[in-house]
Amino acid sequence: MANQHDNHETNEDVIILGDQEVLKSDLLTLNMGPQHPATHGVLRVEIKTDSEIVAEAIPHLGYLHRCMEKHCEHLDYRGVIPFVDRMDYLASMSMEWGYALTIEKMLGTEVPRRAQYIRTMIAELQRIASHLMFYGTYAIDLGAFSPFLYAFQDREEILRLFEELSGARLLYNYVWIGGVWNDISDEQLKRVENFCYKMEENMKKYDDLVGQNHIFVGRTANVGVISKDLAYDFGLTGPVLRGSGIKWDLRKDRPYGIYNEFDFDVPVGQGLKGQLGDCWDRYYVRVQEIFESIKIIRQCLDGIEAGPVMGKVSKIIKVPAGEIYMRTECPRGELGYHLISDGGKTPYRLKVKSPCFTNVSILPELAPGQMVADLVATIGSIDIVLGEVDR
Amino acid sequence: MLNQITDYINSKVPSANAVATTPEKGDGFVTVKAESILEVANALKNSSEFEMNVLQVITGTDYPAASEIELTYVLASFTKNLELLLKVRLPRGDKNNLPKINSVVSVWRAANYQEREAFDMIGVTFVGHPDHRRILTPDDWDGHPLRKDYVVQEVYRGMVVNPAHKVNTEDHFFGKKLKETMDPKKVVNSWKSDDDASVEA
Repeated sequence: MANQHDNHETNEDVIILGDQEVLKSDLLTLNMGPQHPATHGVLRVEIKTDSEIVAEAIPHLGYLHRCMEKHCEHLDYRGVIPFVDRMDYLASMSMEWGYALTIEKMLGTEVPRRAQYIRTMIAELQRIASHLMFYGTYAIDLGAFSPFLYAFQDREEILRLFEELSGARLLYNYVWIGGVWNDISDEQLKRVENFCYKMEENMKKYDDLVGQNHIFVGRTANVGVISKDLAYDFGLTGPVLRGSGIKWDLRKDRPYGIYNEFDFDVPVGQGLKGQLGDCWDRYYVRVQEIFESIKIIRQCLDGIEAGPVMGKVSKIIKVPAGEIYMRTECPRGELGYHLISDGGKTPYRLKVKSPCFTNVSILPELAPGQMVADLVATIGSIDIVLGEVDR
Repeated sequence: MLNQITDYINSKVPSANAVATTPEKGDGFVTVKAESILEVANALKNSSEFEMNVLQVITGTDYPAASEIELTYVLASFTKNLELLLKVRLPRGDKNNLPKINSVVSVWRAANYQEREAFDMIGVTFVGHPDHRRILTPDDWDGHPLRKDYVVQEVYRGMVVNPAHKVNTEDHFFGKKLKETMDPKKVVNSWKSDDDASVEA
């Protein structure tokens, strides 16, 4: 005990919080999680606090670790798809698409136009669903419960459509190598069209309800600021990167699928309510992305053409020896698959570059000096899914 | 592009011995000597031409036949819109003598978690890492799961790993049983590729 005290004397005696200097007292170690609603899953953050101020935060990962990459080494190429579903279970369609693209690029498979349109459409619907989930849970993190219910009403419509398409609500196994499993009917397309109209109206209301609310702005503006250099240094991607004012979106900069044919903007943070790169900017980037996704879906609905939904793929897939790194833009950032094949029926090595794993690594950098409640706001704004962090 | 990067690395760090490989299928990569990874990383990040400002991922692959471990550093430039697979090869070592390589945390801080994962999963020690611990498995876990010869430990802290009564062995033989009891080709709604056309007819 005495030893600890001596150590403390030699350390810095003050913590700087904003423009205030606060006397440092003995630190209290507190475990946030693994069963804590604000950590969005089974993340444990070991925080050392000085009264309300966080001095250090250490994320402990691995509570959901299933060693997916090892499993994949024993599965044939089609059998991997249900496994990648279970990484980011809130954006399974995007996970599957990234994997399918990786294999298709190696095989040189041509995907039919209709399947391309369906894939783009469902990926954007999935992005909306995922961002709605963020919107709802982020409001809960900050103490507002009703936005969650509104968000889930709209998310439910997307999930119902996916359920009709694939038979499952969360883990779809719908995007297959060479195309998609099932065709989409005209009646379902009509529903998507109606949904777009409704979603656009609703989202404006939702943003007024939460994003422009004084309490919400007070809780998120100037909190958890990530500068441009910091974002590059930690390899951040997705809305977290764009929230710091960096215009980088794979759909625009390195188009995959048929994204080069669509007209849409890449929203970036502008520091409207506070400093550039704060939690509010990250929130607002996601809200704007929903509108951009609606734009893309409308163009898909206009352009979709009749035809097959499955390309020509041999019954037993053997990927030629070699390797490939394929990046796609998921709702949470850049998802990369690094596939090494030795020409056999199973991948020799499949490494997943998970956006959340990279994004959560900035937490120890942001936390010192924050209030505990602000740390909750920061974790929420990074929007992690633990299934993907731990894999 | 790869050749330009290779020439650049060789001019900046002559000891790196960079070699570009461009296969017929898939992505090409640059291999450098493991000892000079830190200099190469610094040179690539600070070059005005390539500006590799983002470290995307560090992958480890085990090659037991060659008794080597291959680390792949996937670098990207968000300003110049480039992507590079940078590879090093290390001797495989054994449990008590893991291969060593210099850490690149001083160049990209994203390497912190990536190197911890590589250490945890494939068993490579990163010299100079500020927080060299396991990240996904518990700190006292035994072995490195993504090595090809990994065998899961039987007992961990008095708990039996994969107890027999919890492993559903029947499912392991589901496919085999299906073939014995019924004709899989007759399963309704099963996926059909164009190759099946001849079988159907």
